[in-house]
Amino acid sequence: MTPDRLAALVDVGLLAQALLGALAVLFAVVVPRRVRNAASGSALVAVGVAGAITGVAALLGAPAAGLRIPLALPLAGPMDPMLLAPDRLGAVFMAIAGMVVALSALFGIGYAHGAAASRTGWTAFAVFAVGLQFVPAAADAVTFLLAWELMAGGSTVLLLADHAVREPVRRATLWYAVMTHLSFLLLLTGFGILAAAAGGTSWATMAGAGLGGPVAGVAFVLLTAGFATKAGLVPVHVWLPRAHPEAPSHMSAAMSAAMVKMGVYGIMMVVLRLLPEGPRWWAVLLIALGAGSALYGILQASVQSDLKRLLAYSTTENVGLVVAAVGIGVLLRDSGQDGVAGVAFLAALLLAVSHAAFKTVLFLGAGSVLHATGERDLDLLGGLASRMPWTATAFGIGAMGAAALPVTSGFVAEWALLQALVHADARADRLVAVVMPVTMAVVALTVGLGLLTFVKALGIGFLARPRTRAAADAHEAGITMRAALAVGSLLVLALGLAPGPVSVALAGAVPAGGVSTVAGTGLVLDAVGVVLHPVGLTLLLLAILVPLVVVNVVLARRHPRRDVGLAWGSGGERTSPRMEYNATSYAEPLVRVFGSSLQATRSVEVVRHEQSPLLVSQVAFTQETVDVVEERIYLPAARRAERFGDLARTVQNGSIHRYVGFSFAALVVVLVVLALW
Amino acid sequence: MSDHLYEQLLATTTGLLLLTAVLQVWGRSVTRAIRLLAIQGLALAGLVLVVGLHGGERQAPPVALLVLLVKAVAMPWAMARSARLIDQTKEAGSLANPAVELIGAAGLTLLAYAISGPLLGGQADPAAQAAPVGFSLVLLGFWQLLIRRSALTQLVAFLLIDNGIATIAFLTSGGLPLTIELGVSLDVLLVVLILGVLVVRMHEEQGHIDITELRELRD
Repeated sequence: MTPDRLAALVDVGLLAQALLGALAVLFAVVVPRRVRNAASGSALVAVGVAGAITGVAALLGAPAAGLRIPLALPLAGPMDPMLLAPDRLGAVFMAIAGMVVALSALFGIGYAHGAAASRTGWTAFAVFAVGLQFVPAAADAVTFLLAWELMAGGSTVLLLADHAVREPVRRATLWYAVMTHLSFLLLLTGFGILAAAAGGTSWATMAGAGLGGPVAGVAFVLLTAGFATKAGLVPVHVWLPRAHPEAPSHMSAAMSAAMVKMGVYGIMMVVLRLLPEGPRWWAVLLIALGAGSALYGILQASVQSDLKRLLAYSTTENVGLVVAAVGIGVLLRDSGQDGVAGVAFLAALLLAVSHAAFKTVLFLGAGSVLHATGERDLDLLGGLASRMPWTATAFGIGAMGAAALPVTSGFVAEWALLQALVHADARADRLVAVVMPVTMAVVALTVGLGLLTFVKALGIGFLARPRTRAAADAHEAGITMRAALAVGSLLVLALGLAPGPVSVALAGAVPAGGVSTVAGTGLVLDAVGVVLHPVGLTLLLLAILVPLVVVNVVLARRHPRRDVGLAWGSGGERTSPRMEYNATSYAEPLVRVFGSSLQATRSVEVVRHEQSPLLVSQVAFTQETVDVVEERIYLPAARRAERFGDLARTVQNGSIHRYVGFSFAALVVVLVVLALW
Repeated sequence: MSDHLYEQLLATTTGLLLLTAVLQVWGRSVTRAIRLLAIQGLALAGLVLVVGLHGGERQAPPVALLVLLVKAVAMPWAMARSARLIDQTKEAGSLANPAVELIGAAGLTLLAYAISGPLLGGQADPAAQAAPVGFSLVLLGFWQLLIRRSALTQLVAFLLIDNGIATIAFLTSGGLPLTIELGVSLDVLLVVLILGVLVVRMHEEQGHIDITELRELRD
């Protein structure tokens, strides 16, 4: 298709998303309960697909005219018209959002139950999905913030789905609502400063004003703080490990894989589009934020035993890597190494796309497990691989992606990031010489811990023998859930095996030159002179592995397996599920190594036998890790706010006379002030 | 109408307004407060008529008639009916003693005179010069809201504030158009009717109409 045809497709696609979203809401409200999941879910799958197609079209085509929002807001000051017209960077994130929404909605058709399958539930999902897909399409601050609030509002309502059943849901929603509003306020202030300084609300006006100096600095800090809150970066990540586990799983997937990305999009938009001439300390701030989040996130993830909480912390890690990559790009661009900077920006996008793919699969897999067993505590699972082969395979592929192993998207993305780090020329620039090795060390440590974390998640959850009745009775997920898992895993593998075409398309969205493809699938980075050809590597690996496997199988046939009984087992089993490694014991060495930053508290309770203190009847071990940031920063702040609230309570006591007195005093004071003026 | 007569009539009506307001603060009888309210309505209607006729407005007589009907007849009647239904003719008690009440009222009247000069600017028009009376009425109304406990007296105080605002409007802008005055008056009448019913219900439910007892906070 020609670029102009693609641009027309973008315009149609934007309209289609809005209309299909309205259709999903309509279905959610009018269709009877029996078919509501199917009707509303299918409409949302269509919304997602439309978003993905629009995103891809906008990425490859000419700039589209966009969709005007005919809405007159009574705002004073310079206001550009409200417009939805994605640029290439926005297009990437719109495609990500669309893909994730489509998969989560498809999964939700089979998965949604209870309040998540109610009218409110599906309506909230539809509002959330449309808001989410329109955030990166917005071409001005007002539209952006409008879509942003649709996204925040819809997700808050859906997060509340199980509030009647589980108490933690209410607390998680409260945390989420507070943090998301904080984020909105920061963004509003930041964009307000930019709009006032540039004399217009559209991105084009802001970018064209060439802002710099302290105004740009203040706006950058505010916007970065606001976007970081949405992206779940440390220290504003606290809502993430609470909200993701408590939300319905298809919603967790959408929130973690797509919504969090909007924070990343915001940061990239600010440093690449709105304020491209930023000073170096911006880059250092971004790298510090990103690398810190990556390390802290994976460290917390590695010791969690709640599967969804683990995934939530891993989101903080991945987003941290993306933001660190952006920071590295900005730093290198500033020191004049545009080629390597481009690789870093490309790595950021690859990391974002890859994380969206594998985190969707992982959260949907966790949802499938939760659906089948009612459990998300790894210590109570096990043995699911034979009972849920589809889910286990998909989760395995997702876990490989998260652990950045070859043939998956995660490997490609982290490989690109390391290329940027390795090839940065540190000879001329002291700051680069300091920052690059430190970042590289952090990334290496993160990758290592990530591997451990996902070996744990997959191994403890899906392999070995079931540790509880619920795990033993697990059943495979329904057809739509399996379909969503399969498509997601295929995306993870596709990006891992054919990174070339995707990277070439992505490179158009950021200032990255010299990206090309070789042999149809391979990736060539001319700027740093490296080639990655996963298909070739895989074939090579297979050439080595296949004879090995064949020899093994043949030998095994020749010598049939013998059952070896326990010598002194008295007919007992070799191992019982209680003797297996579980999530807590697997992470035990890590807790010892990183004890001070994790602040784990353990208690061992020994119950002695009534007759003799020498006989032990029961031993219970519990271990809890604390989120240090939450403990040290948020709880004291919350306590202080509460004390302030108590002060206010002494002022208002319910007496009508007192309230009238306040108004009266205010009136008299105003009159006196006016008279004296 | 000669200027001298105009000033005399203006002084009479506004003086009557202020006098009734102060008497309302002073007394403890609910029935007397309602009667004073009727007189106040009469004075307000007279004020409207005087200002309107002097300004040569043809709408003045109907507006004055409306004010008379609503403020001097309908509202006092509705309130007197509520008071009769629940048999409350005496104020239960005040939060301040009579001396404090009157000193406060005097202080607020002084304040009204002190602030209305700078607020309205030095206008030579005798009507504008009488505007402090309106401010006094508003402040005295608030003062009654603060110190009285009975719900009926609260209602009287609320109407006193309304009368004050109406007085300021008539004195400074030469009156309001008939339609606007109609709307405002009927709104206030509606509020009085509803609150009158509410007071009766409150008495039925709780056996008293003391609003200091209503202090339980609800979410």
